[in-house]
Amino acid sequence: MKKETEKVRNIGISAHIDSGKTTLTERILYFTKRIHAIHDVKGKDGVGATMDSMELEKERGITIASAATYCEWRGYEINIIDTPGHVDFTIEVERSLRVLDGAVLVLCAVGGVQSQSITVDQQMKRYKVPCVAFVNKCDRSGANPARVMDQLKNKLGHNAVAMQIPIGLEADFSGIVDLVAMKAVYFEGENGQNVRVEEIPPALADEALAKREILLDAASMFSDSLTEALLEEQEITDAMIIEAVRNGVLARKLTPVFMGSAYKNKGVQPLLDGVTDLLPCPADIENHALNMEKEETPVLLFNDRQKPLVALAFKLEDGPYGQLTYIRVYQGTLARADAIINVRTGKKVKVGRLVRMHADQMEDIDTIPAGYIGALFGIDCASGDTFVSPGISLTMTSMYVPEPVISLAVVPKNNKAEINMSKALARFTKEDPTFRVHTNHETGDTIISGMGELHLEVYIERMHREYNAQVTPGMPRVAYRETITRKAAFDYIHKKQTGGAGQYGRVGGYMEPINDTDFIFENKVVGGSIPTQFISACEKGFKQCLAKGPKMEFPVTGIKIVIDDGASHAVDSSEMAFQAAARGAFLQAYPKAGPVIHEPIMKVVVETPSEFQGSVMGSLNQRRAMIVGAQDEGVICVIESQVPLAEMFGYSTILRSLTQGQAQFTMEFATYRQVPRSIAEELVKKAAEEKKNVA
Amino acid sequence: MSPENPHRQPLPALESRNAIRTGPFGRPAAFNKPAGVIHIKERYFTMLKKDLILRNPLRLMDQENDDLLSPGQFGAILARAGVGKTAFLVQLSLNALLRGKNVLHISLDDPVNKVSLWYKEVFNLIADQYNVDQINPLWESLLPHRFIMTFRVEGFSVPKLQERLADLMEQNIFLPQMIIVDGLPFDESMHPSLSEFKNLVDRLQMHAWFTIRTHRHEEPDPVGLPRQLARVSDLFEIAVQLVPQQKEIHVKALKGEKLLAQSIDLRLDPSTMLIKNS
Repeated sequence: MKKETEKVRNIGISAHIDSGKTTLTERILYFTKRIHAIHDVKGKDGVGATMDSMELEKERGITIASAATYCEWRGYEINIIDTPGHVDFTIEVERSLRVLDGAVLVLCAVGGVQSQSITVDQQMKRYKVPCVAFVNKCDRSGANPARVMDQLKNKLGHNAVAMQIPIGLEADFSGIVDLVAMKAVYFEGENGQNVRVEEIPPALADEALAKREILLDAASMFSDSLTEALLEEQEITDAMIIEAVRNGVLARKLTPVFMGSAYKNKGVQPLLDGVTDLLPCPADIENHALNMEKEETPVLLFNDRQKPLVALAFKLEDGPYGQLTYIRVYQGTLARADAIINVRTGKKVKVGRLVRMHADQMEDIDTIPAGYIGALFGIDCASGDTFVSPGISLTMTSMYVPEPVISLAVVPKNNKAEINMSKALARFTKEDPTFRVHTNHETGDTIISGMGELHLEVYIERMHREYNAQVTPGMPRVAYRETITRKAAFDYIHKKQTGGAGQYGRVGGYMEPINDTDFIFENKVVGGSIPTQFISACEKGFKQCLAKGPKMEFPVTGIKIVIDDGASHAVDSSEMAFQAAARGAFLQAYPKAGPVIHEPIMKVVVETPSEFQGSVMGSLNQRRAMIVGAQDEGVICVIESQVPLAEMFGYSTILRSLTQGQAQFTMEFATYRQVPRSIAEELVKKAAEEKKNVA
Repeated sequence: MSPENPHRQPLPALESRNAIRTGPFGRPAAFNKPAGVIHIKERYFTMLKKDLILRNPLRLMDQENDDLLSPGQFGAILARAGVGKTAFLVQLSLNALLRGKNVLHISLDDPVNKVSLWYKEVFNLIADQYNVDQINPLWESLLPHRFIMTFRVEGFSVPKLQERLADLMEQNIFLPQMIIVDGLPFDESMHPSLSEFKNLVDRLQMHAWFTIRTHRHEEPDPVGLPRQLARVSDLFEIAVQLVPQQKEIHVKALKGEKLLAQSIDLRLDPSTMLIKNS
């Protein structure tokens, strides 16, 4: 294993679903000689692409879990994280982006910048991942790379600049013109493995010159030497251009655009050159950890092998030999037989086998130095855990994890299924922080929650396939919440004197709505009317009431409770008495505080051919949507709306049938908003009925 | 919102201007609920809205409560690039939204996100300026009254708009009362399609505001109207121009002074692009 950090690239491949990122990865692995045959995603040969290691992914033609894989190109070591494209699995995408130094944003030459690309792009911005763009599918009918470039500029706000222009388009697509070297590049042989470089065809010479001018103009912003050379009309070398573009990419101020067709094996090798030339190496990126000892102040990490270890476990996989933990080392070196500490649990663990992954094959290695990605065996941890050398207490920044918005009950079909299901659930919750499991105490049901219908569906199917757990899913449920809308006072006495020790406590104060946080408790009691030792009991009492709101038994959020008065008894007051008093006080004030139900509102973006715009809007409108706007993009139209999650079940089927399968939508959580009165009444009725059935 | 305000604004007179939304006793429809029940939250919002309208210097331009333009009429805001046409338009729109009017915002320059950002920014600035708290619920109550439509300049035509409007209105998704059009190029060939637009607007009982971009290097016509407006000025009832003078941007009436209130002396604050009193 070579150890030159400058020649390491940790990259991700992100894109809209079906833009061909798994195909592209597959071709990259083929050209870097990691695999020796090409299989298509929905392969007729039944083998499927190498990166989609999970059976389910092969069947559905989508990538769910991001497999990390390793390859070499021109002496550079490239770690590729294949990221899932569907919005339901965005936690996977975000986690991958966290460990990447650069990314290839794959765009479809026909579809252009689609809604999912926008989500992925926002995520890249959040983690400041520099990227190059690859316009794929230039061989498809309707391909228009120029339009995609415009969309990159207008929709995503990238300073996109073409590094290449296509030779021919659609069925005539035969190669590319490299605007740096000013040569035409053709791809020949059965799998396009033979690259033939020629002079630019005369018909394209003018266009190539014009586009090169644009490229030089954009690149000169990032390099003084290039600007100088341009102004003084000196010779401009390829290296000067590459360096200038690279500076722009590292600053995230320039997005070079490559073109090709992965499926037809065209343009992949120049893209690999671009990745190695333009994307950053681990030393180019500043990474920070949080110092646990100093109130989580950020600490800069050094890409230095000699320093103490800081590594992040970013993905878990259950393999035939036990748990496989994908890890990225940010500082120091992780070596076999080292003792390392899991910061979250504080436990010391010994490193067993270290491997480098290639989809589902692996290669044993001795060390993983800073900047590298690898995997370890036999370590028990959750994804997102930080490992460090003994003696330091740093944690990688906690990743942004959204709260789940949808849940459903799963009932195992038999005893065996129950055992398998619990194994599966334990694994899934470790792998995916947005996937949660809990047991409903009243019904005894196992409830799983996640980020969307499809998210949960995929896990249920994985239970069937990977764990042979036959389960029956219940109806999905929306995560409603309760909150109050106005201030209400309480003054409650809890008094019990029926045999045994008496109980006495009086709590006075008020509750009021707050915006930004779930719960605040404030103690304004003066003069010791409630003895200090019982204040925390009061807080506990109030907190107990929040889990299940008195109105609909949904969790209560956005509430501030202030106690400013009370009374105690020298003998009969106890913690228990004050807890009971607080609960009583809560129940007393809550109905007066105008309790309402809030529901999760999703931002739903539908992309549809213009002719279906009316019916799509109608379908959204029926779902209590608030349509923010409609963006006319020529042939397609993008409708942006906010829709209550409760109304979105089964929408994909309806949208498909409305638009002859031509529209697609993405959905992400936006906010919580009050449920209209009529719907709230329905919810109350339903809840009452259910209660009756349970009883 | 200042605490004494509720007393200054007697309740029954609140929304009497707005016949559609007003109940039989001159109270807003939302108030016509079982006797004896005071809907504090709704009343609070109504007051908040009223308050914002009252403090909005645009009222100097508007005739207090009614719309400046009658159904079927056109208004134009002229300025050079970057002077604040969109900001002005968004304020006009917000003013209408606060009064419960449905506004259709058509933009030919910006995507939906950017337009909604304009609104959010301008609204926050207005709310900041007048120290309005609880802006979130108020903001959310305005959103359903706004609909943003964006087109590419080359893809925009009156028949197309008509089709889109029909989509919205037939399904009862959105019934606009005011249309604002931002970014329409006013070149030589605009007259026929604008007059077609005017017919449409008249038929649907709405009015429309446009932005017109003027150019520094073009001489005005003999009457003093910028070229872009001069070609179509017969279709416009009102036209105002935003003129940067030293550190302020003045609002100058070009056409329809009679419709505008007597003393129109508005300025834009160049730092916030908000309209302020002189």
